[in-house]
Amino acid sequence: MTKLWYNIAKRIAIVAAVLAGILSVLMIVNYIQTKSVDPLNSQAISQLMTRLKESPNDTALKEQIRALDLLARKAYFTHQWQIRTGSYLLFAFVLVLLLALKYMSSLQPRLPDLSKSPEPDETWESKFLSRKYIFFGGLGLFFLAFVLGILSQTELKNIGIIKTEESQGTAVFPSIEEIRDNWPGFRGPEGIGVAYHTDVPTEWSGPTGQNILWKTPIPHPGYNSPIVWGKRIFLSGADRRIQIVYCIDADSGKILWQTELNDILGSPERRPQVTEDTGYAAPTMTTDGQRVFALFATGDIACLDFEGNRIWAKNLGMPDNHYGHASSLVTYRDLLLLQFDQNAGGRLLALRTRTGDLVYDQPRDVEISWASPILVITGSRTELILNSNPFVISHDPQTGQELWQVRCMQGEIAPSPAYADGMVYVVNDYARLAAITLGETPNVAWEYIDDLSEVASPLATKDLVIMAASYGAVTCFESKTGERLWIQDFDEGFYSSPILVGDSVFLMDMFGVTYVFKAEKEFQLLSKNELGERAMAIPAFMHNRIYIRGEKNLFCIGD
Amino acid sequence: MTDKTSKKPENRRDFIRKILHAVAGLTAGGLAGILFSKSSSEEMVWQLDPNICIQCEKCSVNCILPHSAVRCVHSFSMCGYCDLCSGYLQPGTKVRDTGAESQLCPSGALKRTYVEDPYFEYTIDEELCVGCGKCVKGCNSFGNGSLYLQVRHDRCLNCNQCSIARRCPSQAWNRVPASRPYILKGDERKRFLKS
Amino acid sequence: MGMRNKLRLLKIFIVAFLLLFPLLGLSQVPERVPKPDFQTDYSRPDLLTPAPRATVLEYIDIGIIVVALSLATYLAHKQRSRRNIFLLMVFALAYFGFYRKGCVCPIGAIQNVSYALFNPAYAIPIFVIVFFVLPLVFALFYGRTFCAAVCPLGAIQDAVVIKPTNVPGWLANVLGVFPYIYLGLAVLFAATGAGFIICQYDPFIGFFRFGADFNMVIFGMSMLMLGTVVARPYCRFLCPYGVLLNWMSRLSKRHVKITPDECNNCRLCEESCPFGAIVKPDEAALPANREADVKRVAYIFVLIPVVIFGSGWIGSRLDIPLSRLHSTVSLADEILLENSGKRTEMTDETKAFRASGKPTEELFADAGAIQHKFKVGGWILGGFIGLILCLKLTSLFMRRKQLEYDVDKGTCLSCGRCFAYCPYEQVRLGIITPEEAEEMGSREVRIKQFRA
Repeated sequence: MTKLWYNIAKRIAIVAAVLAGILSVLMIVNYIQTKSVDPLNSQAISQLMTRLKESPNDTALKEQIRALDLLARKAYFTHQWQIRTGSYLLFAFVLVLLLALKYMSSLQPRLPDLSKSPEPDETWESKFLSRKYIFFGGLGLFFLAFVLGILSQTELKNIGIIKTEESQGTAVFPSIEEIRDNWPGFRGPEGIGVAYHTDVPTEWSGPTGQNILWKTPIPHPGYNSPIVWGKRIFLSGADRRIQIVYCIDADSGKILWQTELNDILGSPERRPQVTEDTGYAAPTMTTDGQRVFALFATGDIACLDFEGNRIWAKNLGMPDNHYGHASSLVTYRDLLLLQFDQNAGGRLLALRTRTGDLVYDQPRDVEISWASPILVITGSRTELILNSNPFVISHDPQTGQELWQVRCMQGEIAPSPAYADGMVYVVNDYARLAAITLGETPNVAWEYIDDLSEVASPLATKDLVIMAASYGAVTCFESKTGERLWIQDFDEGFYSSPILVGDSVFLMDMFGVTYVFKAEKEFQLLSKNELGERAMAIPAFMHNRIYIRGEKNLFCIGD
Repeated sequence: MTDKTSKKPENRRDFIRKILHAVAGLTAGGLAGILFSKSSSEEMVWQLDPNICIQCEKCSVNCILPHSAVRCVHSFSMCGYCDLCSGYLQPGTKVRDTGAESQLCPSGALKRTYVEDPYFEYTIDEELCVGCGKCVKGCNSFGNGSLYLQVRHDRCLNCNQCSIARRCPSQAWNRVPASRPYILKGDERKRFLKS
Repeated sequence: MGMRNKLRLLKIFIVAFLLLFPLLGLSQVPERVPKPDFQTDYSRPDLLTPAPRATVLEYIDIGIIVVALSLATYLAHKQRSRRNIFLLMVFALAYFGFYRKGCVCPIGAIQNVSYALFNPAYAIPIFVIVFFVLPLVFALFYGRTFCAAVCPLGAIQDAVVIKPTNVPGWLANVLGVFPYIYLGLAVLFAATGAGFIICQYDPFIGFFRFGADFNMVIFGMSMLMLGTVVARPYCRFLCPYGVLLNWMSRLSKRHVKITPDECNNCRLCEESCPFGAIVKPDEAALPANREADVKRVAYIFVLIPVVIFGSGWIGSRLDIPLSRLHSTVSLADEILLENSGKRTEMTDETKAFRASGKPTEELFADAGAIQHKFKVGGWILGGFIGLILCLKLTSLFMRRKQLEYDVDKGTCLSCGRCFAYCPYEQVRLGIITPEEAEEMGSREVRIKQFRA
């Protein structure tokens, strides 16, 4: 009797096994099919959608998309149903199969072969084998673990010690030579208005095109000056709605990329109040040779790589500034420095260039300012000197600590300091032009109170100090004594600061006319060059080239 | 065939066993005691924080269930009821209709009904929603962020190790007490605020 | 289309045209569109928030597991009925397996316990503690009755045992090391918060949930197919909880025995255990090279501290590769690679992190702390594995004299398959007389087929 049931069970088992097998294969095939084509992320539909964007009124295309979409959705939900039903069916078949097999095996008890004498289960041979395999297996395991541990040590050092490495300055940053070979920030390499490339044209004309190699329109406005590193020029632009960084190829003038920075965490909902002559993108960008940094009137600060990819971005808090923030950024080794003087008080911020993390936030007992810091090597140390009301303060760029301060300023400070040969020169309209001698106790060596500059920063050489006012007067002083050497009146005023190029000075007025004159005790005009449009920014001087940003276009001057 | 001599090792073995037995019992008890001091009476369930979520679309793919337990929900208190809903419509669509080419939702789960001028109501058919988050991304970009993803606890199996939580790029997933199983946005948040 | 609508449209339209889709949705989204002012009597629909499984049901589950464990113990010790144990096992498979979807199970509870011990932020639910401790307590007193009749993973493997073969002794010993390694790794990963690997690599839970990662389905199917010929492979050679149950069960006083009476060495139960948990009588004759073996054991004992220190040291060196499996450390790793320029493309994780505004210094500090945890944990894990291997090797030099057929207290699952093979069991059930039982011990008799 049991033999009959046994055979029935066997047949049922075979049938169930075959069915289960077929169903398993079907389900695996189903899985592989859907793995390759995800119906809800269909490539075909996305391609058609991009085509539709180009020709939005193509009804036939729309019909196609709709049909495909319906198919995709059906496919997805059918697939879901198939998985569900398939699983349940498979479960049922396997259950039947198991029941049958279990029944069959229950009819066959496991009896020992009593003809053989009983063997103990663990003979010394088997124990020896076990010991051997466990011993060698264990050795192998430890060896593998050892190798794994050693190999990984070389790849990634303990993360905890990375912090000390960074603060020891093993980060990568450009040398002083590399900095001087480029134009990485506001007013040139050290921010003091001195250009190291002196082989630039002295004559050009925007309207006729003489010595104009190219001219590229920049869609969004900004008063920030172009910065250059290698063959790339960087600018930023912003208006009420958009903040954008441009990268232009220095040789062709083509815009290589433009990156918008509109979704920065913490960015204020409403744009700040700014005046027309400050705008939303007044701060000049800066670069450390690997990354570029841009700051906007909203307090948004961003770091991009040279390809335009955003590395980090944050919001520093909207500056409390009734004209709009204008102080430009400076890099020092692996720090990004910012003079953040607002109505509520002054601060010097330093962010880590690589990560944007705040390194120090030095409070300053000063009023609001629109000037930018200069970073100069004064004798044995590097100083970051800031012009503000009422103090001119020098900070240690690495730590932010104050080195010295001199009280000599007043009013709403816009011009940045100048430096040459151990003396710092600061100016502000309604205050004075002050020359500060550095040393044990820095103090004001001489001062002058007429024809003062309101926006343009002064320029200093070993012998001369040149100041350009926004109503058109340019004055030249003897640097050590303050004796006024000459004064020239020009038709239009100056916002852009004078730049020293070799032994000449390039100075551009608000209408884009650049005057080139000798840096001498007597005024000697070398040339007057028209741009063809208004300009406020400071030109960038590179090898054989000058880059000037006008209101609408970026010009490349060269022969 | 037992004699006194073979009983001795037995007694010794049994004695060691008794000692270890007591030690094991105490350890188990002690461990249980320590754990009870850190315990909660509530079950913990999984939930994602919509304020951290970056809408990477991994929620729809990584759930062990074929149809993910994560679905989109709508905070009607936050919704702007816009005609040009950026969670419903593809960016740049000229025509606001229900055509597949105009919609963001790949499975057609987001439904649009006219309420009054100029407001439209947007509801989610949970059976169709796959939890991909495309509508959430759109709503966050140009709208109020009233559409967001949440784990639906009538579907979630509450695995000990959630396969989605493991792979979330922004660490938006956490265990929450079962009495406050949702992290909601808008006015609905009050429902599960700590009292 | 009123003016109001047109203005809203215009504003949104311009924004939509000018802006590209941002890479990431903003986390704190400002209210861009004002709340609507409804003129009709429209009322907003309610947001449904279906509740998770009621907590009271979890406590009912505790009740059920207490009843199941008690019943299993009773069935194994007192009633000695394989059939009833089998039925209880089927119930456990249906309830704890398919209904409760195999979660939380005592095996996984190891991880929750480890996590709770080292992470004050995690409040372990009470019933998880109970699930963890209760089977261990029962095992300490009555043997591994949990395994045979209550564990759903064991049940599903037991259900597919069709034609079990004997695993050679040496192979069983070697494979028996893996549960210790699995246990150590599971505790390490759970305690450091890197993840619950027991749950991740559980082959059978996919079947209970009717949903799993494809690779896990294949793994599970393979395990089950293997299980038809090698009984309970996961239980014997992988289960980390089995290590704990093994220890507890070995110390138990009242373990099941094959015979309800005294064993007469009739040999009929010899092949009855598919799990190889029956110890056969052994003269334990001394081996030929006894002195050499004694010397070796002495060496091992002396070297135990050295081995533990050495393996602990190796374990500590695994801190960096193992810690990479923790999401925080792998994120810090990626950030470092990107910052140093070695990688030029960002991943979803790094993009999300950079947008969150969290300082990288904090991330690196967290990652460093986790690596430190792995270092300490690595010492402990390495030392533990070293110790276990030494002890296993030592035990393999020894052979105890065994006079009768008995169960291996550590590995016997109290399933009761062997009971019916014993003639004294048949006496107890009244199928044969005591005299017939005596006979079976003294001479070889062919047995008619009978149901187990």
